Amino acid sequence: MSLRADSVLRVRWWLSFTSDGARCRGPAAGNGDLVPIVSTGNTAQVPDEPVLRCAELTRRFGERLAVDDVSFSLDAGEIYGLLGPNGAGKTTTIKMVCGLLEPDGGTITIGGRPAAGDLSVKSLVGYVPQDVALYSDLTARENLAFLGRLYRLHGALLEERVSEALELTDLSDRAGDRVDSFSGGMKRRLNMAAGLLNHPVLLVLDEPTVGVDPQSRHAILERVQTFGRGGMAVLYTTHYMEEAERVCDRVGIVDRGRLVAEGTRRELVARLGQRDRIELGAAGDLERLAAAVRTVPGVESADTADHAVHLVAEDGRRILPAILEAAERAEVALNSVDVVEPDLEAVFLHLTGTALRE
Amino acid sequence: MRAIAIARVSIRRIVRDRTALFFIVVLPVIVILIVGAAERGFTTFRVGVVDLGAGQAGRQLTTAFEHSSDLAVSRYATLAALRKAVARGELNVGVVLPSGMDVTEGRGGTVAVGVMAEQANSSQQAAATAVSSVIAGQGAKVQAARFASVHGSGTFEENLARAGSLQPHVAQVGLRSQTADSSHNVLPEGFSYSAPTMLVFFVFLNALAAGASIIETRQLGMYERMTAGPVRRGTIIAGETLAYFTMALLQATLIVVVGGVAFGVSWGDPLAATVLVALWALVGAGAGMLSGTLFHTPEQASAIGPTAGIALGMLGGCMWPLAIVSSTMRQIGHLTPQAWAVDAWTSLLSRSGTISSIAPQLAVLGAFAALFLVSATVRLRRVVA
Repeated sequence: MSLRADSVLRVRWWLSFTSDGARCRGPAAGNGDLVPIVSTGNTAQVPDEPVLRCAELTRRFGERLAVDDVSFSLDAGEIYGLLGPNGAGKTTTIKMVCGLLEPDGGTITIGGRPAAGDLSVKSLVGYVPQDVALYSDLTARENLAFLGRLYRLHGALLEERVSEALELTDLSDRAGDRVDSFSGGMKRRLNMAAGLLNHPVLLVLDEPTVGVDPQSRHAILERVQTFGRGGMAVLYTTHYMEEAERVCDRVGIVDRGRLVAEGTRRELVARLGQRDRIELGAAGDLERLAAAVRTVPGVESADTADHAVHLVAEDGRRILPAILEAAERAEVALNSVDVVEPDLEAVFLHLTGTALRE
Repeated sequence: MRAIAIARVSIRRIVRDRTALFFIVVLPVIVILIVGAAERGFTTFRVGVVDLGAGQAGRQLTTAFEHSSDLAVSRYATLAALRKAVARGELNVGVVLPSGMDVTEGRGGTVAVGVMAEQANSSQQAAATAVSSVIAGQGAKVQAARFASVHGSGTFEENLARAGSLQPHVAQVGLRSQTADSSHNVLPEGFSYSAPTMLVFFVFLNALAAGASIIETRQLGMYERMTAGPVRRGTIIAGETLAYFTMALLQATLIVVVGGVAFGVSWGDPLAATVLVALWALVGAGAGMLSGTLFHTPEQASAIGPTAGIALGMLGGCMWPLAIVSSTMRQIGHLTPQAWAVDAWTSLLSRSGTISSIAPQLAVLGAFAALFLVSATVRLRRVVA
């Protein structure tokens, strides 16, 4: 599957008009530079406001606090990743942004305007849910045409938008085929195409690569980067560290409903100082090994995941002999020892005390 | 317009489903044809005859039965065999010709011809009436022969033969009956019976089965996707209602057209029939949507929905007239909307009813439609949310 190099140019002008015809902030050219906002009508964006601002968002499900005082903002052309394990509160946050859940507390503004209950604000958002949400017994084109009509698109404009979305996701040649004949990766791409029909100012992607093959994953990530370069604001959730590192301009780390840190990759890694991440592969009792190495001076955290013990330690190379001794005392035979340069995984481990799991 | 888009996509999905199309279009027409043809066959009654005397009078009466166009006659050798056939339902009635008929007739006495029929069974009672009519005709010939032999010349046997040969040439005293105060409480026979009852039956049954579509849409996450866009929940509900109403109306219209054109069914007063069809489509739409919110999986809706539709159709008089069941069952049947719809069709087809004469039935059906639609809307709002 190939990706089109001219997609940036296509995305560029999408952001000039919403589906309701109101003008919004958008890039002037394919290089992604932003132009001042020109406001006309009530759907336009307020000048100097971020595309998305979430302030002190809170959401409970019964006794469980799913989202706890989460605040972040997102500008045009920026890809913001919410990174965290399953159940951390990413999807709940996204559903509140898209108006699918009411927050118990806090505010959400999109284009400077409160999102709550405003259908014209919803027109600015493209939502790509985690599970493929398409009629499997309709063709790709029929699905997109239906969803386009919900955004009041019709006639030649609808045809044009559907064709564009299919082209952007490399599905033009399968437009007339039923969705149930598609591979998992193709369904994912069509799922994404459906979120692009209204030329959104904000594209919300909820774990768009879950369960797809590496080739499709690569294609989806490349496409998301293209949208960002084209000036679209993208809110992206994932629990894959490498995706967040590759795609996102800024990352918010979410754990147990709280946004524990946010920033660019560089900013987040800098929080670790001289700390390293060490992975100990072992065949024996990993919990026992983790407990043993936690006693080593310099080891800040140790957690087990994916048949290994993950450590964050100051100056990892210096204390490596002490760690090996601790493993020997614990009578656990090591298979491998990797000292990894600081990355988001290490940041997550440092901030939450646990490794990010699949 | 968004509601229309939602309705269009729902209808497109149903129409594209070949199984659903079979149940919506093909099966009702087949069932109307079969039930209509079978119901027509009731006008020829199966009669069994056992002649215990084996005399001339018995032979003549048996021949008279055989010449009747209303009766299909089978002869039985023993009374036990006849009883068995009646009990098994192989015959509508059994006729027992006693021994000594010739002697009794010749003497001018009374011959008691036994007729075996179930008193509570309307078709058996109708068959018994047809048998009595033939016996009465034969009795008239015997009476004429006796009169001639007493007051004229010739023996009884000679005069009986003459009465038989002269009967076709004697001017008949015609009896013409007209119903002045009609109180027909069953639908006409044949296709005029099967078409309206199957309309009521299949529109409701298929609507219940189509509830699976709402469940699938929810499971696919399409409602979530719609509400993430600029679509209100009310718009989604309006779209689904429009889809279910349109499908029910299309099916009902198809049955009306096929019934009228292919089977010659007269649907009665056009205005009343149109209102009745539209109201029944609303009842079906509400029931279908409710089914889509009550069941958890499409498989449940597809399996339980039609089963419930068949049961309600039976109770409501779609399979047999409620006039032939006990009053208790008739009252239970009128807890279903089907019974009121069949009552309304009966009024239109059997009593030349108008919209004012079926107003009570329309009011009850309106209440059912409102109940189903309001319940479905409340539940669907939760589903969409």
